[in-house]
Amino acid sequence: MRIGTAKQSYAHDESLFDTRTQWVWLGLLGVSLLLFPFVVDDYWLYLACLVAINIASATGLNILTGYTGLVSLGQAAFMGLGAYTVAILEQRFGTPAVLNLVAGGAVAMLVGVVVGIPSLRVKGLYLAISTIAASFILHFVFANWSSLTGGTGGMTVPPANFFGIPLDTSFRLYWLIVPVALTMLVCAANLFRTRIGRAFIAIRDRDISAEVLGIPLLRYKLTSFALSSFYAGVAGGLWAYFFRVVTPESFPLMMSIFFLAAVIVGGMGTILGGILGAIFMTMVPEVLKLIVGWLPLGSEGAVILSPVRTIVFGLLIVGFLIFEPLGLQELWRRVRRFFHLWPFRAQG
Amino acid sequence: MEQKKIIKWLGSLAAAASLIAAPLAQAEEEIVIGGSIPMTGVFAFAGIGIHAGITDYVKMVNDAGGIKGRKIKYVPEDTGYKVDASVAAFKKITSQNKVNLYYGDSTAFAKTINPELERMGSIMMAGASFATEINDPKKYPNQFLVGPDYTEMMGILMRHIAKEKPGAKVALVYSDTEFGRDPIDEGEALAKKLGLNVTGKIMTPPGSVDVSTEIVKLRRAAPDYTIFHGYVLAPIPEFISQARKMGMTSQFMGTFWSMDNSMVMKMGEAAEGFMGVMPFRYYYESDAKAPMLDKIRKMRPEYQSNAYMQGFLTAMLFTEAAKRTLDAGKPLDGKNLKASLNTIKNFDTGGVVGVPITIRGNSIPVGRIYRFDAKQQKMLPASDWIHLD
Repeated sequence: MRIGTAKQSYAHDESLFDTRTQWVWLGLLGVSLLLFPFVVDDYWLYLACLVAINIASATGLNILTGYTGLVSLGQAAFMGLGAYTVAILEQRFGTPAVLNLVAGGAVAMLVGVVVGIPSLRVKGLYLAISTIAASFILHFVFANWSSLTGGTGGMTVPPANFFGIPLDTSFRLYWLIVPVALTMLVCAANLFRTRIGRAFIAIRDRDISAEVLGIPLLRYKLTSFALSSFYAGVAGGLWAYFFRVVTPESFPLMMSIFFLAAVIVGGMGTILGGILGAIFMTMVPEVLKLIVGWLPLGSEGAVILSPVRTIVFGLLIVGFLIFEPLGLQELWRRVRRFFHLWPFRAQG
Repeated sequence: MEQKKIIKWLGSLAAAASLIAAPLAQAEEEIVIGGSIPMTGVFAFAGIGIHAGITDYVKMVNDAGGIKGRKIKYVPEDTGYKVDASVAAFKKITSQNKVNLYYGDSTAFAKTINPELERMGSIMMAGASFATEINDPKKYPNQFLVGPDYTEMMGILMRHIAKEKPGAKVALVYSDTEFGRDPIDEGEALAKKLGLNVTGKIMTPPGSVDVSTEIVKLRRAAPDYTIFHGYVLAPIPEFISQARKMGMTSQFMGTFWSMDNSMVMKMGEAAEGFMGVMPFRYYYESDAKAPMLDKIRKMRPEYQSNAYMQGFLTAMLFTEAAKRTLDAGKPLDGKNLKASLNTIKNFDTGGVVGVPITIRGNSIPVGRIYRFDAKQQKMLPASDWIHLD
């Protein structure tokens, strides 16, 4: 049982992980992430990379929607911007991958700021519609600026290079994608212990009150859009290196809905929520496939059960929204609390 | 005595090991066809047929003893027609099996997985894509198209039109997608070459249903022939109904994915006289000797779609390439399989394609024009088989 944490300094109070137990678990997680590529096959490595990319993008959307309260359905389009920037830089100039990723994030950030301007006037569903409009415009640009983007046929991305080693397998890409995603997570977690992050939360809770308290809405709403788009841009860049082909159809509106669902299912306004949501949305369809595969039904059974699997996935999402509106992170928090208090039980 | 016991033990251990190893060795001998198959999602209508086609042909070959005694194992995985899920399926199947041949579900997947196919070098792939881009043996050395590419389909249609009505006016109606735009520029160039007059190029937004403004453009173009591409069903019926209401007499045509009999029947009244290009024969055709179609009809008495035929023919070509590679005493890798595939000349598909086929590059540039007969509720041949050289 853990009964409390005595914080005896400001540094301790500010630290992200404040107990030895947390550090031990974190260490174990780190070791697991280091060993993971050596013990699993290509399929699981592929999924790990995909999950990491989705976590990075979902965390970006969480900054905007979960923490600042600004609904966006443009996340996929911003990812597209990052992906195209990386593809163009890699294909035409062969610049280093990290530089390309930062450039991808920066381009998405600049466009994100422009797209965010309506957020000063509209919010909620209206803002969501304006971000959809922006994503349609971006889609049009991707499809029609053929000299730059390759038109509807898209672009083929050469593999990222790391000191002469082409990152052309899931194993090699893991060492680029996972560290970048982890860095983005740590940055996001730290953001909400700063003035900027707290301003975002104040705007989400009541924007008028936030303004009365001296928070300039223009600056902070646009900052939130900029950061969120930067995350999407970098995630899109990673996506481009991962899939090696970027077309206008790579980033459909459904993808934005996927990320919004990930943030909601995981738990809005928490870093852990974005992580768990992205894992859930990416992995549950695959896990359901594995379960169907284990059933002794043969390939005909797979045909019959495939639609059932899709329905189960949908029901799981609806189930979470009904029975745990605070998302997966709340389930996680309750499980942790149970073990913290064990053998006693929490009341209420 | 002790030594004898040990030898006896070792002997029985070796026997047990050989018993366990026997099925493993047999499993290693299997020729594996993997498949990213869209059994759910927007492309499920085709995916289920493709899956059935591959399954049936694999069963036929295995029932007949396999290829040079080696059985074929077909390992499908549902993708929902999503590229990330298709790649996941590929990774999963290739991690768990020694895959020789693979069926991909889309152009996007074919393009995405191409670097991996080249890196692995062990797999030859075909799939549901007829994209012109894939028809490039230099860029896609380990892939091929089971049929003509979209530009070649357009070429077959144009040749038919040029023969039927020289100098005819043609309109191209296509969706604003990679699929839709694929053959348009080259199709237009070919039309000019054949002396046809392209009077309209009308692009519709993806998924559009209301086409009232586009109909006005089509009417202005006053085409003798209107070719739809980049659609499965909508908005083709809407276009045809509104055009006929306006008194237009244009002949409406489609390409592979809008040509399945059940799909055309869904057009209702608009289906009457609808024409298009089809590289495979229809399930019910009995105008010529077709032993393979007879077998299909025996196995599955109910109608099977053109997607089924495509899956069936893919499996047939896969196994033929594998057979030729084994006959040549070469290992079953992507390069050898593709080289063997390209040795196929005047190959009899048992009637799945109405003429013997030859695969020189990455496609099979042959097809026939069919027309829908509302009385019989069937697509009926409207031309001979047309080869593109």
